Amino acid sequence: MVQIVVSSRGAGGLAEWVLVELQGEVEPRHSGGLAGSLLGDLHYTCEGVPVLIVGHHILYGKVVQLEKPFAVLVKKRADEPDPTGPHTHYTVTALIKTKLLFKTRPKPIITNVPKKV
Amino acid sequence: AMRSRAEVDATLQTAKLNPAELLPAVHCLSFGPQAGTGECYLLQLEPGLCAELEAGRSLVIRGEKDEQAVLCSRDKTYDMKIADTSNMLLFIPGCKTPEQLNADQASCDIIHSQIAGFSNNYWELRRCRPKLKKLRKLLMEDPYEGPDSQKDKTLTFSKYTTEDLFTLIQASEEEILHQLQVINACKIEGHWRILEFDYEMKLLNHVTQLIDSESWSLSKVPLRTCLEELGSLEPTEMIEHILLSYGKRYIDDGEVYFEMHEDKICRAIAQMLLQNAVKFNLSEFQEVWQQSVPEGMTARLDQLKGLALVDKTSRPETILLLKVEDLPEDNQERFNSLFSIREKWTEVDITPYIQDLCAEKQTVGALLTKYARSSMQNGVKVYNSRRPIS
Repeated sequence: MVQIVVSSRGAGGLAEWVLVELQGEVEPRHSGGLAGSLLGDLHYTCEGVPVLIVGHHILYGKVVQLEKPFAVLVKKRADEPDPTGPHTHYTVTALIKTKLLFKTRPKPIITNVPKKV
Repeated sequence: AMRSRAEVDATLQTAKLNPAELLPAVHCLSFGPQAGTGECYLLQLEPGLCAELEAGRSLVIRGEKDEQAVLCSRDKTYDMKIADTSNMLLFIPGCKTPEQLNADQASCDIIHSQIAGFSNNYWELRRCRPKLKKLRKLLMEDPYEGPDSQKDKTLTFSKYTTEDLFTLIQASEEEILHQLQVINACKIEGHWRILEFDYEMKLLNHVTQLIDSESWSLSKVPLRTCLEELGSLEPTEMIEHILLSYGKRYIDDGEVYFEMHEDKICRAIAQMLLQNAVKFNLSEFQEVWQQSVPEGMTARLDQLKGLALVDKTSRPETILLLKVEDLPEDNQERFNSLFSIREKWTEVDITPYIQDLCAEKQTVGALLTKYARSSMQNGVKVYNSRRPIS
């Protein structure tokens, strides 16, 4: 039987990340993949409403405390020595208890509004 | 190149957002170097699992190649399934919530956050029954027949340590250890063994005969005397094991005693009688059974739930051996099997044979609604199969 261990370093070793949920897909503007490229600016209003500016769009969202938190699992890489044997191994890197949910239709940012002649 | 405050402000202006209505801190989100490599997975946690991980405990995913994987914590088992979402989930380390920003007055103006990964699916968990039927199956490969066994000791059978069982069974460690106790397994030379039934009855018989000859109270059977009197007949570990299997251990005035379990003993003796034939005349069986149980114990039919089936429709009424642990583990297969044994069941009769199928918070009634069809027969509600059984 296959056994995969999911190990945790405990609260001291576990970071807390945040989930951002967006509609649709994220695609790179330039070829060459996403790594390193910018997504956008995340602001919060004084009332705590998250505002995300992505490309030519403004997204308004809300902060949601997750009823069921997530664990982020990272597969153990081959170059790290595995004392437990040949089993596949995942490490819990972080817990996610909060998400920023952007469900509203993005508002397009209009630039260069032509002036009436 | 990292975004500057000037660039952020310019974007705000283009977007016609008023900085005065926003918190001063801004997160500039970019994709980290590992994002998109698919090395990160999201696991949705059922109640209690978050605390387990925070305490530093591990979880284990177990699965046979042809089985669906389960995830086990220290004491629970969960089915695992991939849940797809139409949305994109980005996971971001170091991203702060408004509360955190407000609480920390010294928070940076610009927080450059790298998105560690993203996904449009996650692993979903659902608490399930531990798959324990395999445990009995493994231990029945080589039941222990006692030290005088005529079994060919040169043949090597599989023997299982605790660790072996943890790696072979799709269940949590505590569920496995608990089940070992339920089935009266014992550790002999480091391996878990189940006693061969005849040997188990032989041991039990030694004890009940001793109780009788010593005129002990059934609720105060002294360990020390049992070991002294029976130690020449059987290994002392086996005598103690049978007392633990059929009694409750306690200490009184520094001495170990056992309160014998009437129901368990009567039930075992019934099994011993019933396994000798296909079917018995109920009243004859009850007479022999009562005569066979220790003095002071009362044999009652309700002790045989999940072990024997009474047929009140036949003349004379009969009883036969039907052990729930011999039936299939899968819900549908279990019901098919039960309906092929008897076409129509009352809820009272079928309950002991489906009780173990109930998931957390599921009732027998819910199972019957799902897997059976009900009708009235002679003023009594009965259940039969939803589909034709061959």
